[in-house]
Amino acid sequence: MLRPLPLLVLALGACSTEPPAVDPPEPTLRRLTQAQYANALHDLFGEELTVTDRLEPDVPTDGLIELGASITTISPRGVELYESAAFDAAAQVMDDPAWRAEIVGCEPAGTVDAACAENFLSEFGRRAWRRPLTSDELGVWVGISGTAANELGDFWDGLEFGITGILTSPNFLYRVELGESDPDQPGGYRFSDYEMAERLSFLLWNSIPDDELLDAAEAGELTTRDGLLVQTERLLESPRAREGLRTFFRDYLELYEVEHVSKDPYLYNHWSSTIGVAAEEETLRLFEDWVFDSESDYRDLFTTTRSFVDPELAALYNVRAPSREGFEEVAFTEAAGRAGLLGHASLLAMHAHPTLSSPTLRGKFIRQTLLCQPLPPPPAGLNTAIPEADEALPTMRDRLMFHMQEESCASCHALTDPIGLGLENYDGIGRYRASENGATIDPSGDFGNGEYEFLDALELGQQVSKHPDLGPCFTSNLYRYATGHRESFGEAEAIIQLSDDFKGRRYRIAELVVDTVLSNGFRKAGAIQ
Amino acid sequence: MSKFPTRRSVLRGLLAGSVVTVGLPPLECMMNASGTAYAGTVSGFPTRFGLFYWGNGNVPDFWNPTGEGFGSDWTLSEQLIALQPIKHKISVLTGLAVKVPNELPHYSGLAGILSGAPGQTTGDESTMALPTIDQVIAAEVGQNTFFPSLETSVDGGVGYSHNGPHNVNAAEESPHALFNRLFGTGFTLPGDTPIVDPKVGLRRSVLDAILDDANSLSARVGAADRARLEQHMDGIRSLEMRLARMEEDPPNLASCNYPTEPEQDYPEIDGRPQLEAKSRAMCDILVMAYACDQTRVASHWISRAVGNTLFPGAPAGHHNLTHDEPGDQPEVRAIVSQVIAEYSYFLQALDAVPEGDGTLLDHCAILATSDVSLGKTHSLENFPLIVGGSANGFFQQDMHYHSSSQENASRLMMSLTRAMGLSLASFGAQDGRVTDGLSAIEV
Repeated sequence: MLRPLPLLVLALGACSTEPPAVDPPEPTLRRLTQAQYANALHDLFGEELTVTDRLEPDVPTDGLIELGASITTISPRGVELYESAAFDAAAQVMDDPAWRAEIVGCEPAGTVDAACAENFLSEFGRRAWRRPLTSDELGVWVGISGTAANELGDFWDGLEFGITGILTSPNFLYRVELGESDPDQPGGYRFSDYEMAERLSFLLWNSIPDDELLDAAEAGELTTRDGLLVQTERLLESPRAREGLRTFFRDYLELYEVEHVSKDPYLYNHWSSTIGVAAEEETLRLFEDWVFDSESDYRDLFTTTRSFVDPELAALYNVRAPSREGFEEVAFTEAAGRAGLLGHASLLAMHAHPTLSSPTLRGKFIRQTLLCQPLPPPPAGLNTAIPEADEALPTMRDRLMFHMQEESCASCHALTDPIGLGLENYDGIGRYRASENGATIDPSGDFGNGEYEFLDALELGQQVSKHPDLGPCFTSNLYRYATGHRESFGEAEAIIQLSDDFKGRRYRIAELVVDTVLSNGFRKAGAIQ
Repeated sequence: MSKFPTRRSVLRGLLAGSVVTVGLPPLECMMNASGTAYAGTVSGFPTRFGLFYWGNGNVPDFWNPTGEGFGSDWTLSEQLIALQPIKHKISVLTGLAVKVPNELPHYSGLAGILSGAPGQTTGDESTMALPTIDQVIAAEVGQNTFFPSLETSVDGGVGYSHNGPHNVNAAEESPHALFNRLFGTGFTLPGDTPIVDPKVGLRRSVLDAILDDANSLSARVGAADRARLEQHMDGIRSLEMRLARMEEDPPNLASCNYPTEPEQDYPEIDGRPQLEAKSRAMCDILVMAYACDQTRVASHWISRAVGNTLFPGAPAGHHNLTHDEPGDQPEVRAIVSQVIAEYSYFLQALDAVPEGDGTLLDHCAILATSDVSLGKTHSLENFPLIVGGSANGFFQQDMHYHSSSQENASRLMMSLTRAMGLSLASFGAQDGRVTDGLSAIEV
């Protein structure tokens, strides 16, 4: 059961100092991601709707799908796919008398009933476009629905065209958040009430606003701090926020890749076509628990012995399955040699090769993704082969030694390999192993220059959890995800403040989310050039 | 000036209580009186372009043919031996190089060969700064067909066909969906009368209205978003045009027919994708898409740059093998041979379709290439380049052309654009830019 979060008190507690001003970049349209598109259609028509995944693909850019959504476009093929997806959804509902009656809310008086169509399309359009339609806009869709009804001899068949139009319009497919003049800041811009409604709902629910949120926008409440806080609290307390924030974490750690990871089935007989999805679920469940149930310290995600596994993962981890099917909580004992996110099969399998582990990829993930320390790209013209395993070089540590010995390799690999070698007790899919090719694995190391030394994966997790860059990196990523852009120089101060507050709030994630929403970075817009 | 009605004209029509349907001019621009001939080609059949791409390159020492010149003066190498049945209709080019700076492993070569320009990078991800060769061509020749271009993907990736930065034409990865898209509702065999469906006109009025929405939005956004919306609008217009053509008689092409309907699904077997079956199912469809003149531009993406696909028979992922396999890399070579066998299948399938006095392949130029030459070192010299088909007599056949000076590979792209009837002043940008084609391989 979800406990009400003590958000109001905390958020007001931080109110004593004025939040730092920001100078954000020009706002850009964000294309709905595949998940946002599906969630929006389910919100509009009901969970029973079948939504195709044959849509313009999500393209991660600069580490996040949500950043890719701000710069990618809709291709000719995408136009075609969105059109057929919208017709398909509209037809499912309009072909079902009970369903369409529930959605449309009026019975047509004849083949053409402009009043009934207008009544419905105005409500539907407001939800779909996250703002009321102008009378001209409404007139177009009512007109097209009427013409189609007349031509096809059926009111409902006609309405399919109006619905499809609304769902294929750029006003649906992009998040139109362009800002308005800010009365509190002459010459500056803020996001309008309706724009704030969708910023909030996409961040917290990964979907369109509900009617209550749109009503709050209509009442002008979302451009006030207090009104915004009330709605933020309401949305966060809804079970839907779990899905919303899981989506952030999935995007941040690129967990959508796990199900596509391919592994040699002969080498790794614990890997299967279903285990990728399960491994992703484990990581997301633990995160969900961290945000909403145990309300724990973000840093402890890297040291906790708690996790959630299904029987297939339990077998991979060599622990007793806590249930016959589905996920249950498990506590890893010391003998399991596993703790925290860095012991999750999802991350270990993703940052490895089809037939091998990869200390380089794992070290890169920790440094670049978790700590936001940029790494130079590998040089293009080098021989990157590593020596084969043999009696002289039985372990990965032995085979990677030349990375450290050759100057051209060491400049980068010194930043990644010593960290990633700490996870060598986990093979290419994350199964524990004490030895490799008959030699005992040495999982000790440091972060370079003797800093953050560790003896094994468990100590590596502790070092990551204590690393001063961990909290600020998470803060920046949430900020990027929430705002849809990589932070500019003009936002640096606001992010430092958020990250300091995150620390002050003992790294509780839900509180960082609230602080981010209330920050100027989320509420103020840059000028359109 | 748009050929299509504005929202106002549609609204006027709507107010009058009937839908406005505006017929497009018939496609006489591309046909002679008998309905078969295409202006500007010797055969009377249009020239088609294809791109056949695979990731991670080759092993040049086992790729380069023996001997130079024509016919019996040259013989196929180990990795190209699958092309023997079609050797008389290909040109193999060796000794050319991608000239953009090799700064991003794999992506520099990918962007360099396909767009002639360096890639554009943010963080770990890269995109094309310029449109890829298929879209450069489609922008000119795509207007006359049902689909300006088609993209198909064997390994499930989205491919690399770009209209510009961050604008990928995501490839179709399901052979069955490809079949339905091309030969399902809306397809008419030559000689049959198109079914006139009132929904088609209604769909066009919806597209027209959303085009107006895009225009209004465009007036409110910044320059970058305006460019994005412009590309979106191109897509809307392209679909409108296709709908308009649905009601017209199809081109009268004798070899046009339904391809074999593919399987619903091609599941992995033992953790390995069914690359051969999937690629062939897709190529069979592409062959008929050309034969029916549904498109004149296609790209077929076998696998990704840096792709780690487990090829049938391979002991590790492809990309790992390119870097980790020692010596002469027999496992990598076996993968390249599998890929070239699929290229050969595609060319032979095109050659099996008669068109006029020749075959469909004679009216095609199908470029096969990758993102690097030797994957192990990400080399951009001695780039893998093959052209299948003479493009209506434009290219030499049965030729091994070897450049001894690592000529700029963009020159082949320039030749391909010319083969397709384009007259560009240049192709590519910066170090990749060229103004001349490769006259040695042209007839």
